[in-house]
Amino acid sequence: MQTLNTRTQPQSTMPATQEPFLLIDNLSKVYPTLNGDFVVLDGIDLAVNEGEFVCVIGHSGCGKSTMLDMVAGFRQPTEGEVRLETVPIREPGPDRMVVFQNYSLLPWLTAYENIYLGVNSVFPNKPEAAKKHIVMEHLEMVGLADVANKKPGALSGGMKQRVCIARALALRPKVLILDEPFGALDPITREELQEELLKIWRDHQITVLMITHDIDEALFLSDRIVMMTNGPAAKIGEIMQVPFERPRTRARIMEDPRFYELRNEALDFLYHRYAHDDT
Amino acid sequence: MAVFVEVDHVDRVFKLPDGGEYIALKNIDLQIHKGEFVSLVGHSGCGKSTLLNILSGLDQPSAGGIVLEGRQVTDPGPDRMVVFQNYSLLPWLTVRENIALAVDRVMQKHPKPVRDRMIDHHIDMVGLQKAAYKRPGQISGGMKQRVAIARALAIRPKLLLLDEPFGALDALTRGGLQEQLMKICQENEVTCIMVTHDVDEALLLSDRIVLMTNGPEAHVGQIVDVPFPRPRERMEVVKHPNYYSLRNEIVYFLNQQKRVKIQKAKPAAAVAANGLEKVNLELGFIPLIDCAPLVVAKEKGLFEANGLSQVTLNREPSWNAIAEGVTSKRLDAAMMVAGMPLGITLGYGNQRPMPMVSALTLSRNGNAITFGKRLFDQGVRSLADFKASLDRRPDQVHTLAAVHPTSMHNLLLRYWLASGGIDPDRDVSVTMIPPAQMVSTLKAGSIDGYCVGEPWNVRAVQEDVGVVMAIDNDIWSGHIEKVLGVTEAWANQYPKTHVALVKALLEACEYCDDRRNREEIANLLARPEYVGADEAYIRQGFIDPYDRGDGSEPVAVPNYIQFYTGKANCPDVAEVVWLMTQMARWGVTPFPRNWLAVAERVTRPDIFGEAARQLGLIDIGRDRHTTQLFDGVVFDPDEPLKYLDQFAIKRDIRIEEVPMDAMAAV
Repeated sequence: MQTLNTRTQPQSTMPATQEPFLLIDNLSKVYPTLNGDFVVLDGIDLAVNEGEFVCVIGHSGCGKSTMLDMVAGFRQPTEGEVRLETVPIREPGPDRMVVFQNYSLLPWLTAYENIYLGVNSVFPNKPEAAKKHIVMEHLEMVGLADVANKKPGALSGGMKQRVCIARALALRPKVLILDEPFGALDPITREELQEELLKIWRDHQITVLMITHDIDEALFLSDRIVMMTNGPAAKIGEIMQVPFERPRTRARIMEDPRFYELRNEALDFLYHRYAHDDT
Repeated sequence: MAVFVEVDHVDRVFKLPDGGEYIALKNIDLQIHKGEFVSLVGHSGCGKSTLLNILSGLDQPSAGGIVLEGRQVTDPGPDRMVVFQNYSLLPWLTVRENIALAVDRVMQKHPKPVRDRMIDHHIDMVGLQKAAYKRPGQISGGMKQRVAIARALAIRPKLLLLDEPFGALDALTRGGLQEQLMKICQENEVTCIMVTHDVDEALLLSDRIVLMTNGPEAHVGQIVDVPFPRPRERMEVVKHPNYYSLRNEIVYFLNQQKRVKIQKAKPAAAVAANGLEKVNLELGFIPLIDCAPLVVAKEKGLFEANGLSQVTLNREPSWNAIAEGVTSKRLDAAMMVAGMPLGITLGYGNQRPMPMVSALTLSRNGNAITFGKRLFDQGVRSLADFKASLDRRPDQVHTLAAVHPTSMHNLLLRYWLASGGIDPDRDVSVTMIPPAQMVSTLKAGSIDGYCVGEPWNVRAVQEDVGVVMAIDNDIWSGHIEKVLGVTEAWANQYPKTHVALVKALLEACEYCDDRRNREEIANLLARPEYVGADEAYIRQGFIDPYDRGDGSEPVAVPNYIQFYTGKANCPDVAEVVWLMTQMARWGVTPFPRNWLAVAERVTRPDIFGEAARQLGLIDIGRDRHTTQLFDGVVFDPDEPLKYLDQFAIKRDIRIEEVPMDAMAAV
């Protein structure tokens, strides 16, 4: 027994170097209903490296939000688990921040106060000046220092989403989870925010998991695109490597023959092999 | 086809509270045929919804008017139904009741059973039988929009107007609804006008796409014809050889509009210095090996040395973008395909003619014809083999690509095919695709081959998707390839700057043809801001032996691409006349009755001569000569029509007088 113990001991401390940064390990989510079990996700395995940008794409109802909710800790898996740096995720925490499509800002607080709220609750013991500095630094990062004292109602959709990104990053998370963050924005603003997000990702070297319905967005931003099959019992259908060099510019990607091959492959997956019927 | 809807010189002016005016739409003129599907695409605030409202009768134009089947539209009516983004269903009524409300109101004269049939038919049409008794709150966004479409079509409108119908749905859910709408429109022969932001949606559904410029004074910037055959299927459409070139053209238009918005804030005035009228120049180039002279002039300080202290090189996505850039004055000058200055002067592609000049030939040779590996594997090794394979299987459609109607790629490819007895329009089809999309389109199987500059032939060979059938040197060694193009108005406005520009580039051309510099240049070209390709793709032909990919040993081709040697640079009237014959041969432009006057106007050896003199270069003018391509047919520049006459394969030649004097006034 003693030999066995000494042998297992180093193994249990070693995974920090062996296990990927973020591991989604045989993850399933099942909801019991009156007509039996409803399987949303069925055995998802995904390893994400530190600093990687991964997009998840699939039709509505494929469970991609459910999957990221379990990474965020909002929901618990029925089977399997998600581990961040080997630690199983049991609840939400400031090391994993989420940005939603609908902004989720408190309408009665200014942009500054919305961010301060998070900073103050995660770093309550920091001196006031340091907290203030963090808030302003992140408002500046998204180019919104001028409107720090405006409330969400006075901001455009793109500005609101910038505040949300600033609020998430102000807590210095290890993983940034974006649930279709630009879906509600017009195409020009969407492209601007994509470019800003890439810059922030590069500067912060943060790990990003992002849900999108937009193939061009996924090809522009990510290192890998995880394509989900349709629910119920959705799985990862295919993982596409996105090989474009960084830093990326849109024009350069559109000159790359691989862009058209990958785009058609993704279209084929989503509209042909796993077409969606909305009935 | 008779015009069904006529938008006749419509203006829409809004009065502002401060007493001023906002001109939203300016002089919109558009004819739509029965059964046609037209999309209006533009940025937010470009007035596309305003135009749709005017078409529906919900808004009135300030000037001009709308005519539907010969009758003026003055107010809303059931012959024009609108589907809005937000569905606009009554939430307390069921799906069926929402549709019934419209049918019962508009078709009062029909007996109830007829109306009921009408309602049920349209519920079936959008596949909502199971949801007929649900209320809007109980169904998904996509289903709600299907109800709105069924309601609109149930009263049999003449015209269906769609205002971003799927804008509220995510990009993937949109897909299924687009296909359904397409089917419904096709089966019911509905005439549709749709406002959308989504370029893929517009390409899938439309016969024509109307691109609107930004407001104020929004107008029709460009109309794109969508050539995909119907019935359409999404994956077939995206694999059509022209899909991505059309898509990129529209995206490019929208990006230009975005830039126009920014530029309006800071107009770039001419900066005069160093004895030149303008030293701040925006030059356009395409990332190809033959952009080397521009890159060298920039990187080796040759622009500065000639007084041009603020030159910016603009990497452009397509030859259309180059043409648009120079004619719209966004660019001062650009590297152009050989026939482009002439083509723009003659108004190719139904565009407004604009006099252009070229005072410098930048390069010669450097292209190849590549066929897909499939044809090679079927035994096609030569032009004769290709002809035989076409004869054997006349039912098979072959598509070949070139980069621009006025480019040597198009003209040489067609010449080569025709010399082998293949009619490039009847036996195969030749389509236009930007250089960067050639390899992926070939790989996808949408085209069977192409003629393009490097590195796009080398790349196909190295990726094992294509085989080089002929290089320029096999067809016409030493032909004119890329030229410097400016508008005649620009040349007249900035004569000293023009000479300085020619000097800088001529010095650069000389530098490029010193073989000792080729390693350094290949290195420069590989940089991401220039060609941005792997150096391995750039070196072949440029430095290293050329591999055709047919199993033969790579062979050194000394003048695979030529920038200076062999008196490469002086603009040559005889070559322009040759271009004229070939562009007329294939119907790109008419043949000018006053061909010599036109050729001399476009070609400016005088400016070149001045530049060469100032540089102390002598005897680099072109000698007067006849030309022979690989087939041995002699071209005598004094007898262009006789030359054209002897070609068996050609289109009907239009011979027209081109009024050069009138054009100068433009």
